[in-house]
Amino acid sequence: MPLEEFKLLEKYGFKLLPYGLAKSEAEAIAFAKKIGYPIVMKLISSQATHKTDIGGVKVGIKNEITLKLAYNEILENAKAHKIKEIDGILVQKMARKGLELIIGGKKDPQFGHMIILGFGGIYVEVFRDVTARLCPITRVDIREMVTELKSHPLIEGARGNKGINMTALEQMMLRTCKFMEKENVLELDLNPVVFDDSGCDLIDVRFTKVETGKLK
Amino acid sequence: MKCSDNIKYLFSHNSVAVIGATPIPNKVSNVIMRNLIDGKYTGKVYPVNPKYEEVLGLKCYKSVLEIKDNVECAIVATPAEFVPKIVEQCGKKKIKGVIVISGGFGEVGNEELEEELKKVAEKYGIALLGPNCLGAFDPYTKIDSIFLPMYKLERPPPGEIAFVTQSGAVGSTIIDMAAHYKVGISKFISYGNAASLNECDYLKFLENDKETKTIILYVEGAKEGRRLFEIMKKVNKKKPIIALKAGKYGKAILAAKSHTGNLAGSYTAYKAAFRQAKVVEAETLEELFDFVRVFNQPLPNGNGVGIVTNGGGMGVLTSDALEINGLVVADFEKSTVEGLAKILPSYGSVNNPLDLIADASAEGYERALNLFITDKNIDILCVILLTQTPPIDERIIGVLTKIKASTSKPMIVIAVGGSYTDKYRRVLEGYGVPTYGYPDSAVKALKKLVEYAEFRRKM
Repeated sequence: MPLEEFKLLEKYGFKLLPYGLAKSEAEAIAFAKKIGYPIVMKLISSQATHKTDIGGVKVGIKNEITLKLAYNEILENAKAHKIKEIDGILVQKMARKGLELIIGGKKDPQFGHMIILGFGGIYVEVFRDVTARLCPITRVDIREMVTELKSHPLIEGARGNKGINMTALEQMMLRTCKFMEKENVLELDLNPVVFDDSGCDLIDVRFTKVETGKLK
Repeated sequence: MKCSDNIKYLFSHNSVAVIGATPIPNKVSNVIMRNLIDGKYTGKVYPVNPKYEEVLGLKCYKSVLEIKDNVECAIVATPAEFVPKIVEQCGKKKIKGVIVISGGFGEVGNEELEEELKKVAEKYGIALLGPNCLGAFDPYTKIDSIFLPMYKLERPPPGEIAFVTQSGAVGSTIIDMAAHYKVGISKFISYGNAASLNECDYLKFLENDKETKTIILYVEGAKEGRRLFEIMKKVNKKKPIIALKAGKYGKAILAAKSHTGNLAGSYTAYKAAFRQAKVVEAETLEELFDFVRVFNQPLPNGNGVGIVTNGGGMGVLTSDALEINGLVVADFEKSTVEGLAKILPSYGSVNNPLDLIADASAEGYERALNLFITDKNIDILCVILLTQTPPIDERIIGVLTKIKASTSKPMIVIAVGGSYTDKYRRVLEGYGVPTYGYPDSAVKALKKLVEYAEFRRKM
């Protein structure tokens, strides 16, 4: 994501997990040192939309030796899948362990801005467990949305897991609505946002504004 | 005056002109004339057509401007090209409500003509219903622009349900079903292309319509989504809206690049709007008809259900359906248990569902239901009636209507069976007792009633 957009997001209180886009192994090592281990690494290429499927994602990298191995393995996997246009390797702070949710939004031609909440991560379009509300929303709406999800027992806590931090979810969703309305956003994905009982980590944001129509 | 202020004239009890009226049988405007006359329209009917002196025994006028009396409503069924000019004449004649049945406008790409029609209506402040629709039906005034013959499409009796429908075909079949089951309606509004007024305006009108207590909304594509949302939110607080959205799953959104774009189509927005406004959404036509019928009942204070049956298995099926749908098979209060022990045969047991077994008569139901009425754990009375058993006869109708009149708790009946049972269903429905052919459809409707009641309590 370009710096300009990132600054805009920060203005609304969105904080991405620290990251850097490395163009070389040395750069990756430098980023990792700055961010602090453990980290994850991801292939960034317009030719690879499903990074996980082609071995373009390595998680839980704890030190420089594994970083080097992972870096080269990702590049080899990319090569094996005939991916040539590589923007770089994303080095990002490893997110907390928790429940991956998607928070998204779009501007509907009839109803205007709406926000969605769903079971997130790589299976988001497999389970399609999502629910929506029109913006603006209230905390009551958010509670109702949670109970409408099939995965809501996971959000509220199941099998020894504590539920997620509801305040963090509420803040993230209210912030998203505000951002979409104020900036006239056409489509937006916060996916995934990883929640546990103490808070959340935002791993990736993509959005387009109505006037540009391009996904950033 | 705004066009929407004149919506009431679309249901005028006083006078209606039928423009394009013809004596030729089976023509749209002939059927409409017949329906007004045979249906005993409460006001005066003025056929208008320069070709005829007389239509169906009534003096026919060359144009509305020739009519000396005041006319409140006009039904237009002429070729599309003439419609704007005719509506202009209606405006000059100070006709306040105009129903345009004719097709041939926006739906066939003739947007210009539709725009012209809209402008004329707005110039004169006319409430314009249509074009390309079935128009209006009001069982109180008997205004009726539905161009389907009465022997083919029965008209329902006066009642409390209003229909607002984009599709004439869907609307008319619901009318037919309502008539079959003697479900009363207040107003029928088929708005077709919605050139000038749309579902938003009609919902707003129905909010204050004294005959209407419940509203059905069938919509394919709204023209003013946000406004519809705001109006639904407001109206639904006073009168429950049961909505069916059709055209849910159009072509996949090819352009969507984000996950959200792929997950959330236009129907997602409708669904969100319904949920946020607490509108009752029906997924299918069957649900629509099932749900709306239960809303003539008082709103329950909770979700505890008391079941009385004369067949054990049907009671079990109903209990299962209640559990799945999050309703509660109530525990009887001590006084109810004691009371029931006295009336049950020695081999019966006091449980919910209460099984009166197959030799139960109307009297058994009456005693049991009277105990249910006073039981604080029971919010809803659920009567399972197997009409096939020997002791059940017409007396059960009297008992159930008496019970209904003597309690502020909602009551529904489940009567499973064939044509003999269907007779009971129709009669009970005619007395305002929602009667269902399956436990599952009954319980799903109850769930909607319970949810809506909860929403109203929290308000």
